[in-house]
Amino acid sequence: MTAQKDSAGTGEDITLKGVSKTFATASGPLPVLRDIDLHIKAGEFVSFVGPSGCGKSTLLNIIAGLVRHDSGTVTVGGKPPREGRDDIGFMLQKSVLMPWLNVTKNVELPFVISRRRGPKTAGRIAELLALVGLSDYATLNAWELSGGMQQRVALARALALDPKVMLMDEPFSALDEFKREHLNIEVADMSDRFGQTTILVTHSISEAVLMSDRIIALGANPGRIVGDIAVDLPRPRNPDMVGSDPFQKISNEVRAALLGKVEAN
Amino acid sequence: MTFSLWYRIGLPVLVAVVLVAIWQFLSVAGVLNPVTFPSPFEIARAFGTLVTRGYFWDATWITLSETLFGFIIGASLGLVIGALTGTFRTFRTAFYPWVVAFQNTPRVALAPIFLTWFGFGITSKIVMAAVICFFPVVINTVAGIAGVDENAKTLFRTLGASKTQTFFRLTLPGASAVAFAGIKTALTLALLGAIVGEFVGASEGLGVLIKELNFQLEVAMGFAVVLFLAGIGLALYGLIELVEKRLITWARD
Repeated sequence: MTAQKDSAGTGEDITLKGVSKTFATASGPLPVLRDIDLHIKAGEFVSFVGPSGCGKSTLLNIIAGLVRHDSGTVTVGGKPPREGRDDIGFMLQKSVLMPWLNVTKNVELPFVISRRRGPKTAGRIAELLALVGLSDYATLNAWELSGGMQQRVALARALALDPKVMLMDEPFSALDEFKREHLNIEVADMSDRFGQTTILVTHSISEAVLMSDRIIALGANPGRIVGDIAVDLPRPRNPDMVGSDPFQKISNEVRAALLGKVEAN
Repeated sequence: MTFSLWYRIGLPVLVAVVLVAIWQFLSVAGVLNPVTFPSPFEIARAFGTLVTRGYFWDATWITLSETLFGFIIGASLGLVIGALTGTFRTFRTAFYPWVVAFQNTPRVALAPIFLTWFGFGITSKIVMAAVICFFPVVINTVAGIAGVDENAKTLFRTLGASKTQTFFRLTLPGASAVAFAGIKTALTLALLGAIVGEFVGASEGLGVLIKELNFQLEVAMGFAVVLFLAGIGLALYGLIELVEKRLITWARD
């Protein structure tokens, strides 16, 4: 893997200005996000880190167009977010493969739904499966795969339409430590190679440091930005960096940002 | 594996052989009244006579038609109503309480009414079979749709799927395993509905045959027909299981 950016797929800018969101709950209105200002540059790999309830997933869902914000403006590539934008790929915590479809058909789903299945689709799917290391499993049923392989299929599916923005909500949290680290490195390398703008939601500080160019620390009640930390570790990243001094220094910075604000309350 | 196969099939067969042997022994020993409780041997002989009679096969054909037509109508209606109930909230709110209320009335009690509405012919039995097998399909279809993975729905939203695409590519296949469990129950119930309908009033069918044979004190033949019906029930269940294995290949745990 090289650190060189592939010019074919350049990412898109993401801009949030004064974004707030309040959920209506049975026990009254619950403010989840207040006054979020954030600019993410094209091609940047950004992690949202914070305790549960800090609204990091809601923020991601707003950028994905799944949740409407109450006030403020959000643009992805200059346009407001919307469900089903081909330039945005989304990965959930679970792989959510369709058990009635085989691996190939699962990866084909975005083409089918966006009505883009054409003569080139088969070739593209083969390419995607090779990318995630599943070429030999193309005709297997989804339920015959291990958890890690299922998430690889989900990754291939999220990459299917060659998105310029990848949004990932704790994509590998259901996997064991080893597989998780392995996939994290692969995803970091891929976004590096393809130059996508990537947002990762996670509650693991070390995962965020290992993968990101920049970490946004979020505080809870209501969710707001409490830290914006640059990760100036060289790319490509590898698991050995975890123990290094600069890695520890950045981790501590993130931890301080998260804890500092909690203590101030 | 051979051992476990012999074990799985051999053991229940052994149980049957022992029970039949005891039954035969009690008959020969004179413990059982041969008129009201014929021996297995007598029943087998009666069955041997029955299969040579045209009216037996006519009756079989009638009952099977009632069962299958009733099943097809009842299960199809059940799927449609279940899909509407599971998909549209207004439909569910308006109709589902009535579906549940109707499900809890003993539908067998409707058989005499269907007889006055649809006559002694095969129609009243088809209606009875359909009404009886309709509910498990509705309930299972609704449950299947309710059980569709929320994460998968989110995924379809991120892909920008239309309502129609979501229904045909997620809801329908996602609900099919649970819905099919209802369809399996429905087929067995359809046979029950057909026989009940025939008991209440009919001119032809295996239910009619059982009643007539009992009136004539041909108890051995009556037994033979009941065992034959059990065989039909099993065969239908086996067939629908085959269909299920073909259609729902992924639900193995």
